[in-house]
Amino acid sequence: MEKQVREPGAPVVQFALLDDILNLARANSLWPMTFGLACCAIEMMAAGASRFDLDRFGAGVFRPSPRQSDVMIVAGTIAKKMAPAIQMLWDQMPNPKWCIAMGNCAISGGPFEYEEQYAIVPGAHLIVPVDIVIPGCPPRPEALIQGLLALEDKITKGEGRNVLRRFKRVSGGIN
Amino acid sequence: MDELVKNEAGDRIYTLNLGPQHPSTHGVLRILLDLDGEYIVKADPVIGYGHRGHEKMGENRLYRQFFPNTSRIDYLAGLLYNHGFVLTVEKFAGIKVPERAKYIRVIASELNRISSHLLWFGTYLLDIGGITPFLYAFDDREQILDILDTITGSRLTYSYCRLGGVARDVDSKFIDMTRAFLKRMSSRWADYEALVSKNVIFIHRTRDVGVIDEELARQYGVTGPNLRACGVAFDVRRSEPYEVYDRFDFEIPTGSRGDALDRYDVRFREMQQSCRIIEQALDHLPEGEILTPKVPQKLPVPKGEVYFAFESPRGLTAYYMVGDGSQTPYRCHIRVPSFGNLNVLNEVLPGTLVADAIAILGSIDVVIPEIDR
Amino acid sequence: MKIKDIEARMGKQFAGCPLERDEAGVTGALWSISVPLAGLRDAATEFKDAGFFLESITALDFEDTFELVYHFNCYEPCSRVIVRMLCGHDQLAPTICDIFRGAVWLEREVHDFFGIVFSGNSDMRPLLLPEDADYHPLRKTFGKVGAYHKREVIYG
Repeated sequence: MEKQVREPGAPVVQFALLDDILNLARANSLWPMTFGLACCAIEMMAAGASRFDLDRFGAGVFRPSPRQSDVMIVAGTIAKKMAPAIQMLWDQMPNPKWCIAMGNCAISGGPFEYEEQYAIVPGAHLIVPVDIVIPGCPPRPEALIQGLLALEDKITKGEGRNVLRRFKRVSGGIN
Repeated sequence: MDELVKNEAGDRIYTLNLGPQHPSTHGVLRILLDLDGEYIVKADPVIGYGHRGHEKMGENRLYRQFFPNTSRIDYLAGLLYNHGFVLTVEKFAGIKVPERAKYIRVIASELNRISSHLLWFGTYLLDIGGITPFLYAFDDREQILDILDTITGSRLTYSYCRLGGVARDVDSKFIDMTRAFLKRMSSRWADYEALVSKNVIFIHRTRDVGVIDEELARQYGVTGPNLRACGVAFDVRRSEPYEVYDRFDFEIPTGSRGDALDRYDVRFREMQQSCRIIEQALDHLPEGEILTPKVPQKLPVPKGEVYFAFESPRGLTAYYMVGDGSQTPYRCHIRVPSFGNLNVLNEVLPGTLVADAIAILGSIDVVIPEIDR
Repeated sequence: MKIKDIEARMGKQFAGCPLERDEAGVTGALWSISVPLAGLRDAATEFKDAGFFLESITALDFEDTFELVYHFNCYEPCSRVIVRMLCGHDQLAPTICDIFRGAVWLEREVHDFFGIVFSGNSDMRPLLLPEDADYHPLRKTFGKVGAYHKREVIYG
């Protein structure tokens, strides 16, 4: 018989319905970690500020401590010197946790990746598991908001199941 | 256990690691603080957590290809770095720029300077405990980004300047938006003053905190508003006028004590002066070309070196390039103001309280990836 | 005028050293002076006494030698001056961190990028590179390199 492997972080006893409800709550109250690396951090701040107001989506509570946050937004270029610190911060976050790679640098090194580049880690996926990638250099705050909405859908396993969301997508939009 | 470091009274000296992930270090700065109770006895900033190798990239790219990098060195003032770089290469290759483009560059640069100072204003007050000014400042900053968006197509990392001009002409919509913004800001300053500048808690928190005197500033090469706060009216826009800055009437705000409050005050008044420059530039905006038509694809860059200094919101910034006659620079060095401004913390922090360390760090306005390059 | 003062001082101190004036202003400096490596500390002391500040330190890697370039400036209009010196690939450069305290970091940065050791600077830990870095990225022997010239190719 094939040995059942439990995914890291998954609970030992699973209750399907309760899990769904919990996921609904998690998806609509994401607490990102205040964590800026470079340019994208400024757009992340702008997304949290007056005009774009991430609080509308329940994701405006930026926590400075990894132990209080659910989602890590890797916003900026990951220098080789910084990579161990990011790894440690990720390890310090309690489960369940998600990671968003914001901007081209966090996706693949972006404009700074070239042959024999010595200073950066080309991509957040090389050090932490990434759930959502948001392209752009830097992405506009609207893009970050869309990324967070996509993450919410991922957590509730489908937009239709995210019954708490107040902002529905227009039909015919991006799915 | 290692031997404990103790002070004269026999109490233990604690080492506190601030950063590299800390909400008030503005990015990825790490400072090792030795603490005697609440007082700092030694501060050792550790930098390099944002090192991306801009200078190495500069050596491997054509002059033209380095444009996108420039606005990512100091992303709060991307346009100014872009502007500075284009002036460096134009000076090196001897390219002429039409009058209209010069004025447009100045307008865009000064708008960017205000947006940088506004961001500093918001985050600094956030650091020392005031949340509301952050939201006000970002509201105003968004207006600037909208204006710049119409001509550059970007919110933060602009590559707007071109060799011999700018990428896009301004239209009446841009001018109307800018004028409306200037009108809005003229009434906004009084709000900010009432909300922050005259706030007793804010004054107590910053007055006589983190004093940098002229001699200390000279030792560390501190420039920009941090230097002007000690009473030295040194501004590259005035001392080595570039572009058309010598045609405008503006003041260089200075302080007298060199403390955090003075640095706040200098930046605050600088924003108003930038508004004055924009207003004059809009009034005198000439008609004509925005791009020199005959910029050769192969730039006529000579052998030798070029150095060009300009004033970024954080101080004296300069590009130093050495060319070997080819289309790629042999060496590309960037003198960044935050480097000296942060270095001075080695001497400013000891003797202050831990809580003041945040107030001081915020007040010198550093952008870490700019230092790390 | 501090610039006249320093020119007189440097003329006295380094009588035999070539002083190049830049009329076109491309180098951003009024003049540049090439001093021997051993004369750096004297030159820096003169600049400090004359009221200048150290704007930047950088280096150039040539096939035959390193070149150190020091930019000094003061708070008066258009008074930037360059002091340059050649430093062989196996030579130590003297530190000026006791003359300009801000030079500690600038020298550490040059050490990071080029591996030039400044004798007398007690703090030669990597500044921008990771603590365990043993490479010097801006040397023309590291990584991707466009061109590697002798000094005379560029400066004649």
